[in-house]
Amino acid sequence: MTKQLPLGIRLRDHATFDNFFIADNRQLVVTLQQAAAFEGGDTAALYIWGGAGSGKSHLLQAACHRATVADEFAGYLPLRDHKMFTPELLEGMESLALVCLDDIEAIAGQREWEEAIFHLYNRMQRNGTQLIVAANAAPQGVALSLADLVTRLGWGLVFQLNELNDEQKLLALQARAEAIGMQMNNDVARYLFSRARRDMHSLFSLLEALDHATLVAQRRLTIPFLKAFLARDQVTSD
Amino acid sequence: MALSLWKKCLNHLESELSAQQFNTWIRPLHAVETESAIRILAPNRFVLDWVNERFLEQISQILNRYNEAPEALSISFEIGTKRSQDNLVERPRIPDKIEKKQENRFSPRSAGIDINHVSSLQPGFTFEAFVEGKSNQLARAAAAQVAENPGGAYNPLYIYGGSGLGKTHLMHAIGNSIIANNPKSRVVYIHSERFVGDMVRGLQHNAINDFKRYYRSVDALLIDDIQFFAGKERSQEEFFHTFNALLEGQKQVIMTCDRYPKEVGGLEERLKSRFGWGLTAAIEPPELETSVAILISKAAQSRVELAHEVAFFIAKRIRSNVRELEGAIRRVIATSRFTGQEITVDFTKEALKDLLALQDKLVTIENIQKTVADYYKIRVADLLSKRRSRSVARPRQVAMALSKELTSHSLPEIGDAFGGRDHTTVLHGCRKVKELKESDLRINEDYANLLRTLTT
Repeated sequence: MTKQLPLGIRLRDHATFDNFFIADNRQLVVTLQQAAAFEGGDTAALYIWGGAGSGKSHLLQAACHRATVADEFAGYLPLRDHKMFTPELLEGMESLALVCLDDIEAIAGQREWEEAIFHLYNRMQRNGTQLIVAANAAPQGVALSLADLVTRLGWGLVFQLNELNDEQKLLALQARAEAIGMQMNNDVARYLFSRARRDMHSLFSLLEALDHATLVAQRRLTIPFLKAFLARDQVTSD
Repeated sequence: MALSLWKKCLNHLESELSAQQFNTWIRPLHAVETESAIRILAPNRFVLDWVNERFLEQISQILNRYNEAPEALSISFEIGTKRSQDNLVERPRIPDKIEKKQENRFSPRSAGIDINHVSSLQPGFTFEAFVEGKSNQLARAAAAQVAENPGGAYNPLYIYGGSGLGKTHLMHAIGNSIIANNPKSRVVYIHSERFVGDMVRGLQHNAINDFKRYYRSVDALLIDDIQFFAGKERSQEEFFHTFNALLEGQKQVIMTCDRYPKEVGGLEERLKSRFGWGLTAAIEPPELETSVAILISKAAQSRVELAHEVAFFIAKRIRSNVRELEGAIRRVIATSRFTGQEITVDFTKEALKDLLALQDKLVTIENIQKTVADYYKIRVADLLSKRRSRSVARPRQVAMALSKELTSHSLPEIGDAFGGRDHTTVLHGCRKVKELKESDLRINEDYANLLRTLTT
C-alpha cells in the first residue's frame, strides 16, 4: 500500500508574539513587544539571555514580524551562522528600524566581529535604531573581549528569559499542537513527556515529526501510535 | 487600499521560505514601486549578493505573477535604504550609500565658514549632568578649563580610562559649553571609526580635499575612542595632518581613548608623542560614594526618588563602570513601573537577578551524581550499582529527581545514566522524593542543599 504524502505546501507557522508561550516572562515579552512596535519612546537596547530552547530566537523573530506590522524594516541576524557570513553583513543595518542579533556568544573572542558589532551599535544609537540582542548568558558572562561592547550591552535593559518548568512545557506543547491543527490529549502529552527529551527544541521538532507521521499514516495521535513511532525513531537514531 | 505589489510578494515569500530565511534576508529589503518598475534595495553588498544568488529569481517570478499592468515589469536590485529614499536622515552627512550622489557636507567648494559643520553633540551630555567624584574630578576640572578657554593652554586634551566611565560625556560637555559660550563656534564631535569611514569615502569619491577642508576648518574637533585608529595607517596619517593643522591654528583638539597615549598599540610613535603634548587626564572607575550619587541622579532624571539604601545596594554589587550602573537602575525602574511595586532593597534584589546572575551553571547528570555522592559520602559507583539498601537507594532517588528537575534529559535517558534502569524506576524515584520532601524534614533539607549547591 502506498503511503499518503502530506500536502506539499503547508501553511508555515511563523514566530509571532501570539504563538509564544509567555509563562513567567510577561515583563520581558511586553517590553519586547513595545520596542518592536516602536511604542514608549525609549530606544535603549534590549538584551535577553537564557538557555537553549528557552525561546530567544522565537522572540527575536516575533519582534521582526511585529516591526513589519508597524510598517517598519527589520532584520534578524543569526550570529551562530557567522561562519557563512562576513562582518560586512552589518554594514548599513542601522538604516533599518529594528535589528535583532541572535546568539551573540557565537562571535565572542572574534575581534573583527566584535568591533563590527560595536560600530554598528554606535551607528544605531545615532540613528535611533532599536537593537535587540540575545545570548546564552548575561553581558558580563559572555566571553566578549571588547570591553566597549560589553559595557554597551549592559547599558540597556537586560532580561533573563526564564525557562519553562515541566508543567508549563506540557501546556506549551499542547498549545503548539493545537496551533498546527493536531489533537493531543492529556494522556498522550504526558506519555510523550515521560519518554522524550524535555527541552523545547526537542519537543517541538518531535511534534513536527509526529504531525508529519500522523498525516502520512492518516491516523489520529494515540498512545499506541506514539509508542510505535518512538520505537521506530529509537531504531533510526541508533 | 489594495496591497502593493511588493507586499503581495512578501506575503507569498513568507509562506515559502523558512522563518529564519525570511527574517534575515527578505525583511530588511525595501522596495520603491512605480507603475511599471520596481527597485528593490538591500542595506549592504553582502545582503545584496546573498539575495541575488539565492532568492532573486524566486522574487522576480512572484512579482511577475502578481503584476497586473499590461507592460512587463522592470525589476532592479541595488544597495540603498528606506531612509536615503525618504530623505529622512536627521542630519546632513556623507551618505553611507556610496552610489547615491546627493549633496553631502563636504561639497561646498570654498574652504572655511561656508562649510556646513555638523556638531553631532548630544545636548543631554552637559557638565551639570556629570556626577563628580574622586575618580573623575581631575578630568572634569581639565574639561571645564578647556571649555572656558578652547585652543588655549590645554591643547590637545586627552581623556583616557576604561569603558563606560564618562569620557564621552565629558567630551560632549566641553563641546556643548563652547557652543553655549559662543554659538558661532564650529564644534564637531566624531567617533574615530566614522572619521576613518569618511576618509575612505572621500578617497573613493575623489573628495579627499573636501574631507581635509571640512576637518581643518573647525574650532574644536572632538574625536572619540582613538584606539580604533590602531593599524589604520592611512587614517593615522590623515589625522596627524588634521591634528597639526588645528593645533597650529590654535583650534582645540579633544581626544578620548581607553588607555594612556604611550600604551596604545598599533599607533605611530609620532602620534603617540603628540597626543601627550597638551593635558592628559585619567578617569577611574567610580568609588562607592560616586556610584551612589550617579544612581540617585539617574533615577531623578526618570522622576524617581531613589532611597540611599537601595542606591548603596546596587553600587556595592556593580563596581566596574557607570554604564552598567545605568543599566541596573534602568532595569529597576522599568520593573517597578511594570509591576507597580515600590523600589525597596528586596525588590531591587529580585529585579536585578537577571543582570547579576552571570551564567546558569551547566548542570549535567554526571555533575549531579558526583555532588549527591559527595553529599551522602558514598561513591558514584554505588549510585549506579544494583544495590538497593536504603543508604544507597535514597541518594539515588534524590539524584534522579534532581536530574529530572535540572536537566532536559528524558526519563529513559536518566534511567540509562543510572546503571541502565527503566524509565518507570526513574518516575517512581521522583514521586518518592516528592512525597518524602513533604513528610521528612531531613530529606527536604538535603534536597534544598543539593539544589543550591548545583545551581549557584
